Amino acid sequence: MNTPRNLLSRPWIWGFVAALLVWAVIMAVSGQGGGQTVSLALSLAPYLVLVGLGQMLVVTAGPGNIDVSVGPVISLAGFVSVGTSSATGSVVLGILAGLAAGLVVAAVSSVAILGLSVPPIIATLASGLVASSATLVIADGFTALPDPGLRNLLNLRPLGVPLLAIVVAALTVLAVLLLRGTTYGRSLTAIGQNTRAAERAGLPVVRITALTYLASGALAGLAGSLLATYIAPTPDLGTRYLLDSIAVVVIGGTLISGGRAVPAGVWGGALFFILLDGLVNLVGWSTAAQNLLKGCLVLFVLFLAGGGSRRPGAAPVRPTRRPSTTAALPTPANTGGTTHG
Amino acid sequence: MTDALTSALPTRAGVRRSAPAAVSTIALAAMVVLCASLQPDVLTVPGFSLVLSVAVPLIFAAQAQMILMSIGDIDLGIGSFVGLVTVIAATELVSSPLLGTLILFALIAGYAVLGALIHLRRVPALIATLGASFVWLGLGLFVLPTPGGTTPEWLASFGAWQPTSFPAPLLPILAVALLVYLMSARSTLGVRIRALGSNPTALERAGLSPLSSRVAAYTAAGALGVLSGLLLSSQTGGGDVSSASSYTLITVAAVILGGGSFRGGSAVPWGVAIGGMALGLVSVTLSLLDVATNLQSAVQGGIVLAVLAGRALIGRVLR
Repeated sequence: MNTPRNLLSRPWIWGFVAALLVWAVIMAVSGQGGGQTVSLALSLAPYLVLVGLGQMLVVTAGPGNIDVSVGPVISLAGFVSVGTSSATGSVVLGILAGLAAGLVVAAVSSVAILGLSVPPIIATLASGLVASSATLVIADGFTALPDPGLRNLLNLRPLGVPLLAIVVAALTVLAVLLLRGTTYGRSLTAIGQNTRAAERAGLPVVRITALTYLASGALAGLAGSLLATYIAPTPDLGTRYLLDSIAVVVIGGTLISGGRAVPAGVWGGALFFILLDGLVNLVGWSTAAQNLLKGCLVLFVLFLAGGGSRRPGAAPVRPTRRPSTTAALPTPANTGGTTHG
Repeated sequence: MTDALTSALPTRAGVRRSAPAAVSTIALAAMVVLCASLQPDVLTVPGFSLVLSVAVPLIFAAQAQMILMSIGDIDLGIGSFVGLVTVIAATELVSSPLLGTLILFALIAGYAVLGALIHLRRVPALIATLGASFVWLGLGLFVLPTPGGTTPEWLASFGAWQPTSFPAPLLPILAVALLVYLMSARSTLGVRIRALGSNPTALERAGLSPLSSRVAAYTAAGALGVLSGLLLSSQTGGGDVSSASSYTLITVAAVILGGGSFRGGSAVPWGVAIGGMALGLVSVTLSLLDVATNLQSAVQGGIVLAVLAGRALIGRVLR
C-alpha cells in the first residue's frame, strides 16, 4: 500500500510532484529558505481550491458536465458580498449574500440543464453571461470597501500557515468524506461512471446533478466573497479562475470523463499553479513567458501522466477497445482509498 | 402517387436531424426582420454586409470547432489560436511574407502534433487544448505585447472589398461551409473523421487508423483557425492576441445552435454557418434596440438559452 510504486500510481501525486519541482526551482533561484514561499502559496491557493472542489464535483457527474460560470460567479459574488457587508455592517451576511449569488446563478444553470436539456457547457456559459452583466451593473459607481476585520482574519498566519488554508483543508477532508461515505457522494460517482445505469438502478439523477451544480455555485460564491475581501472587488476578479479551476481539477487526477473525484489532488494542482506564478514573478518574466511556461508545463504534466479514458470530451460511456481498467472504472472503495492516500 | 408524396416529404428522422438548424434559421430570420424594422438600411447591400461581417471570422472558427466536436473532442484553445494568427498576420506576414507564411504553416502543424499527442497519450482534448491555449496566448504576447501592427495590403483590400450586387461576407461564409461540407460529407476522409466520433471501434476494425483520422481533423481545424485569424485581422486592421478570446465558447454555442452535439459523429457545416450568423446578429440587434452595454451579454445568454429551449420542445414533440 505504501510502496513508492503504489504511491506513483496514485492519481493525485502528479500535481504535488510538479508543485515540489517548482518549489525547488524557486529555492534555487532565490537562494533562500522556502518557508516564506510556501506560506505565501498557502495564502493564495485556498481560493483556487474552493473553486476547484466545486468544479471537481461537477466534472465527476459525468461526460459533458462542466461549470464555465465559475469565473463570472466569483466576480459577481465579490461585489454582492462586499456591498452587502458594508451596507448591513455584518460580515456573515455579506459572505452569505455572496454564497446566495452563486446559488442563484447555479440554479439558473440547473434549470436549463435538467429542465430544458441544454448541454451544460452552454447552459453555464449563458448563466455566466447573465452573471457578468449583473456584475457590470453593480460595479457601476460601486464605492463600498471590503471589511477590514475579515481582511485581517484572512491575512492571519499562525505559525506561517494561513487560517483560510486550514479551513479549506478541513473542507477538503469533508469533501473526501462526503464522496466516500454519504449517499450523495456514492450516487454522484455512480452517475459519473454510467448515468443510464444509475438511472435504471433508481438513483435520483436529476436531484443529485442539480445539487452538484448548486454546490459548485455556492463554493465559487464563497471563494468570490473571500477573494474580493482579500484583494478587492473588480469585474474581472474571477476571469483566470475559469481555466485554472478546470486545469487544477484534471492535474489533480480527477477524471474529466467523470466517475472519479480526487479532492486531495485539487490541492496539488492549485499549489503547482500558484507556485508557478510565484516563480515567474520572481524571475521577472513577462506575462508572455508566464503564459508560455504555464501552458507548456500543463501540457508536459498531462502528456507525461497520460490519460485514462479514451473518450475524454463529452461522449456517453461506451465500451472501447482499450479499456484502461483501473483508471476508467474505479470501484468506489478504490476511489476512497486514493482520496485518503 | 403515395410513394411520390412520401418521398417528397422529409422523413421524420430527417426532420428531427435538421430541426435544430431550422430553429436557428427562424431565430435568424426573426432578428433580420427586427433589425430591418428598426433600421431599414439593414436590408441594403452595404447595410447587410456590415451586419454580417462580424460573423465571418467567427464562422470560420466555428467550423474548426465543429470538426473537432464531430470526433468527440472539444477545443478550448481556438480563441487564443485565432488571436495568435492575427498577431502573426499583423507583424511577420507584413515584414517578411515568406517567414510569416512559414509560421502560419508551422501553427497548423502544431495543431496536428497536438492531435497526435492527444491520441497517443490518451489525454482529454478538453484539457490539452486548454493547456495549448496558454501557449498560444503566450506566443502572441511574446510577438506583440500590445495590440497593434498593420495588416498586409492584400488582406486589407480583401477586408475592404465591397461589391454592389451582393453582400461580400456571404461569399466566404458560403465558401467555407461548402468546403467543409465537401470534406466532411462527400469525402472518404470525412467519413473516417465522423466514424472516429461515432464509433472508434468500428473504425479500427475496418483496418483504418484512428490516429491518422484524429490528426487529419486537427490539421483541418488548425487550417480553418488560421483562415479565421487572417479574416479577423483583415477586418480589425491589426493584431491583438486577445481579440478573439470570446470565440472559445461562442464557437461551441454556434455549433450547438447549428445542430451539432458533444457526442461526436455528426458534422453540420451549414448549420454552423446559420448558428454563427445568428450569434453575430444578436449583438447588432441589441445595439439597434439600444440595450445598455452592461446588459448585452445577459440578453445574449438569454437568447441562446431560449433557442435551445425551443429546440428541446420541438424535439419532444417530434419524439
